[in-house]
Amino acid sequence: MTPMAARILRPAILVVLGLIWLAPIYLLLVNASKDPARYAADQVWRPVSDFALFDNIRQAWEIGGLGDAVTSTVLYSVIAPALAVLIGAAIGFGIVALRLKHGFFWFVLVFGGTVFPLQMILMPLFVGYVEAAIYDSRLGMVAIYTAVTVPFSALVMRNFLGGIAHQVFEAAVMDGASTWRIFWRIYLPMSTSALVAVFILQATFVWNDLLLGLALSQSDDVRPLMTAVTALQDTYGGLQLTAVLAGGLLVSLPTVVLFLSTQRIFSRGLNLGQF
Amino acid sequence: MSGLAVAAPEQTTTPRPVRRRGSYRWSARGFSLPAVLVVAVLLYLPFLWTTWISFTEYNGLGSPSWVGLDNYRAMFDDPNFLTSLRNTLIWVVGSITVPVGLGLLIATLSYGMRFGSWLRLPFLIPYAISGVAVGVVWRFVLQNGGGLSQALDALGLPGADSRWLSDAPLNTIVMIGAAAWQQSGVNALLFVIGLQSIPREPIEAARLDGASGWRMFRHMHWPMLRPLTTVVVGLSLVASLKTFDIVWVMTKGGPGRNAETLAVTMYEETFVNSAYGAGSAVAVFLSVVTFLAAITYLRRQLSAERTV
Repeated sequence: MTPMAARILRPAILVVLGLIWLAPIYLLLVNASKDPARYAADQVWRPVSDFALFDNIRQAWEIGGLGDAVTSTVLYSVIAPALAVLIGAAIGFGIVALRLKHGFFWFVLVFGGTVFPLQMILMPLFVGYVEAAIYDSRLGMVAIYTAVTVPFSALVMRNFLGGIAHQVFEAAVMDGASTWRIFWRIYLPMSTSALVAVFILQATFVWNDLLLGLALSQSDDVRPLMTAVTALQDTYGGLQLTAVLAGGLLVSLPTVVLFLSTQRIFSRGLNLGQF
Repeated sequence: MSGLAVAAPEQTTTPRPVRRRGSYRWSARGFSLPAVLVVAVLLYLPFLWTTWISFTEYNGLGSPSWVGLDNYRAMFDDPNFLTSLRNTLIWVVGSITVPVGLGLLIATLSYGMRFGSWLRLPFLIPYAISGVAVGVVWRFVLQNGGGLSQALDALGLPGADSRWLSDAPLNTIVMIGAAAWQQSGVNALLFVIGLQSIPREPIEAARLDGASGWRMFRHMHWPMLRPLTTVVVGLSLVASLKTFDIVWVMTKGGPGRNAETLAVTMYEETFVNSAYGAGSAVAVFLSVVTFLAAITYLRRQLSAERTV
């Protein structure tokens, strides 16, 4: 292949592939915006004639019960990752700065929590939650989302805090600061970028979770968003397909916006996290 | 997204002179306790409980009764389980080839090109949306006579009357396509990062020797990308064994359970059939397979790297 041909062929292949990649997004956008009365199942590629996206979203929000689920899921995906980064930073601090005895063992134990598939814990959690009367409760959901996000937080935070020179700790001790104060006032502020990066990754994970929601919740005001969307699509309970698609679009927007706008922060945070 | 972080080599802290500071022993424990506690109670305890239940018969009521290996024996006699096992295998093979290969293709084509990062953007958008949303979109596209069929029809291509999501193994294959649609972009991003970290000198030397295009890729980029490829394939392998969301949203496991994966079978047995013992056996099997696959893969790759 001559260099000239390559110069044309490479972008051409990418553009064609890119268009194929965008086609499902086009179908989603166009059909989520169609007036249900005019939606024709055999003409899904046809562009929108009258724009009804907001009506469709409202339908999914109200009739499909996405409104309730959004409230719960915002709670879950803010509180649980926030707790998880703090808990992860705390054990990282305990191991790195306070030199916890057998620290590496405890670290491996905590990180090992992510090794097995979630399927291994669903049934006992379900039974245990029913016993403890926290099945189908927001408390129960926050607890499990925190637990599954702690191991990864511990991994990143331990690595990150390991990069802070121990002299920082010793100097603070000289100044008479308590360990608690050193943690809150020195170590946490020094690791903001890693905390933010881990928080974003974990918030996305919680926002996107389906499985834990299916297993541990059922009522409209507890179950998380992805579980609600799945239910929306299964029953169609009086809902038009256009509204289901609008729902799918709606729940994707936050993560798409977050991902595209934070790419830089989170690559920086994780790069620092290596050191 | 955790892929990016795991791909980063784990660096241990530099050894420092150990100083016994007895006074911090208790605060060290205090700071570490919450993580250990929450992981022990909500992850390890259930893990052990599932392992035990897999050797019992239990439906959630009354107490579990010990049946030894019966659940496992019954599992391997169950045609649904064998279908699920086959589908999971297809998922594994599909996931370590299609999205990884496409990611590599997109990365190599766009690397070093003007506007390369813009050309990669379409591939990244699907990655930012959830597995559930991917399922919603693709279930719509793949309905009988839906978007894909209409497109094939309009282009005069065959296959317009396929029942994409009903017939096995076609449904598993098209769902792997949907997963590849979601995953290829981030793999491309990882490969671009890998390409950026390749030192320039040997590439320049090869270019002066007349290498370009395919030969450059085959003999220079590909070997240097190898460590990264190992990580990407390893992550895809482990993730594909646990495939659940897309299958559940698009087919619920398919008509006659023909599109189930092991993760779906576990859910189905436990939460639909209330056969907790059988469901737990599937979960244990899945965990063991995942664990063995990861270990075997890593060991083979590491020893291969030593011989190269």
